[in-house]
Amino acid sequence: MKITLALPSKGRFKEKTLSLLKNAGYEISLSLEKRSYHAHVTNLPEIDILFLSASEIAHELGNGNINLGITGKDLIYENLTHPNEHIEIKYALGFGHANVVVAVPEIWHDVSTIADLDDVAADFRQHHGRRLRIATKYWRLTQQFLSQKHGIQLYRIVESLGATEGAPAAGSADVIVDITSSGATLAANKLKILNDGVILKSQACLIASRHRSQNIDIICKDIKNALNTEKDSSPEEYLLARSFA
Amino acid sequence: MRGDKSLVDAVSNYFTQNNLTVVDIAILQPADPFLDMVGENLRRLIFMTQSENGDKLCLRPEFTIPVCLHHIASGNTTPKNYAYVGEIFRQTSTGVTGFYQAGIEEFGAENQAKADALSLSHAISMLRYIAPEKNIKLLIGDHAIFADVLSALALPQGWQKKILRYFGNNKQLRLLLSDLAKPAEMILLPPPISQLAACGNKTALIQFIEQDMLEADISPKTGRTPKDIADRLIEKQRLAHRQLGKPVLKALNEFLSINISLDKAEHTLRKFACRYKLALENVLSRFTARAEALDQQGINLSELRYNAAFGRSLDYYTNFVYEIHDDKREPTILVGGGRYDRLLTMLGACSPIPAVGFSIWLDRL
Repeated sequence: MKITLALPSKGRFKEKTLSLLKNAGYEISLSLEKRSYHAHVTNLPEIDILFLSASEIAHELGNGNINLGITGKDLIYENLTHPNEHIEIKYALGFGHANVVVAVPEIWHDVSTIADLDDVAADFRQHHGRRLRIATKYWRLTQQFLSQKHGIQLYRIVESLGATEGAPAAGSADVIVDITSSGATLAANKLKILNDGVILKSQACLIASRHRSQNIDIICKDIKNALNTEKDSSPEEYLLARSFA
Repeated sequence: MRGDKSLVDAVSNYFTQNNLTVVDIAILQPADPFLDMVGENLRRLIFMTQSENGDKLCLRPEFTIPVCLHHIASGNTTPKNYAYVGEIFRQTSTGVTGFYQAGIEEFGAENQAKADALSLSHAISMLRYIAPEKNIKLLIGDHAIFADVLSALALPQGWQKKILRYFGNNKQLRLLLSDLAKPAEMILLPPPISQLAACGNKTALIQFIEQDMLEADISPKTGRTPKDIADRLIEKQRLAHRQLGKPVLKALNEFLSINISLDKAEHTLRKFACRYKLALENVLSRFTARAEALDQQGINLSELRYNAAFGRSLDYYTNFVYEIHDDKREPTILVGGGRYDRLLTMLGACSPIPAVGFSIWLDRL
């Protein structure tokens, strides 16, 4: 019985994941060909390792094309409509910490909460002839947070595929919803996070697809044990693991 | 009954018998007007696609907005009515995606009370015509009365707008009222700003903010202007020590719990106005005129329920709203209707066009 485990295909996210699996006692044989998207666990041949982009992992878990995956919680909640029907979060892995936040220009001294943003959004059309624009790649999280949780309807989402934090200065949006770990990029762009503007606290998680949850217990247990021993590692290690590209 | 041909035929017969203009609306519509008017909440409910050059399109999720756009583009004169019947498309958790709707929109009628009454009367008689067996319940609401109550209570402008925005969304409205009844949290502002805002020196505040904006590389012209920010800062500072008083809260709660048949509603509202010494004369006389017009349409006022808290939290509804429910299957809404005087201007009409209309959910009959 083959079990497919998907891992992030690049960056620090990949490195952290591989070192976690090594601590779990898995000997991973990366193909000699650097670009290969497949790997095997020499001492546990039932496991098939696939390297995918972090959002693809969320999709594949939702569809049940893979048994297990390691990806960010933010991507699960953004990409799956009803995550709890399709996946189960097994463990938070303690790296890749980052928050999805609502941020506005620092110069908006009158805006520090979502309630303030609501007022601004409501009057926007009257003052500017258009709705308030929010740049984000997280349209689902934004919509759930602002519309369903806070009852704010009057804004428009501008889908942004990169460098979202530059949108207010570029004039393509007024506000952003983006992922941030240290907040440094936001600060560099003169943006501030609203006091109650944290939509989701994300980190890397081990996630099981509910559609293919057979025979995964042993892997989950190995990873859990590795996590328990890793707790002794230095705190800098955690800080190094940043957002997942 | 989904898309039942006999129902659609019955609707068409009703339109012909009543000399209504039937309008043909394309299934594929530009998506922006819907998202702009209704809000981003709609995005997860509609089917979006793109044209070859990237324009966002969607399968029509309702008829009112396309009918308005059609009216604006056609340059038709008012008064003018439009009738429609056809399929709309929405994403649902049940997997059903197509629903049939039929309705009538009336633009530019001079006598608003009469137009309101005629709209509800059409909704009832059309429903009786196509589904004579159905037992129905009628519910009406009025945004204008709530707006005037807030203004008569002399609440600060900012609060009036805020509270009015949540009208119809009772859970959020209660939350907001209890928030406003608590002392406001102090806002921490950097030094020169805090003094300028506290003493209300708007000119200096605007200058300072503009300077800061230029330094932050944010154009003071593309979005919120220094004046927008200064205005709101000063207002916020002024309201920082105010909270919604107990008597006001009591009056609002009492108003929002009024739920009574229309023949008794005017009396109840006048008693309420009298008890709290609120000047509601103007809005109540319009309410009465509408009730009289409904009576003249042969609608039994004792069968109409006025719920003071009933409204739609969309900014183009400012007045009369109504719903017809299935008496046997509460809370199934068979018909949604109301007055949306702001919508045509928001969609680009050059001058304001009063509008009232309704939609029947044919699949629910």
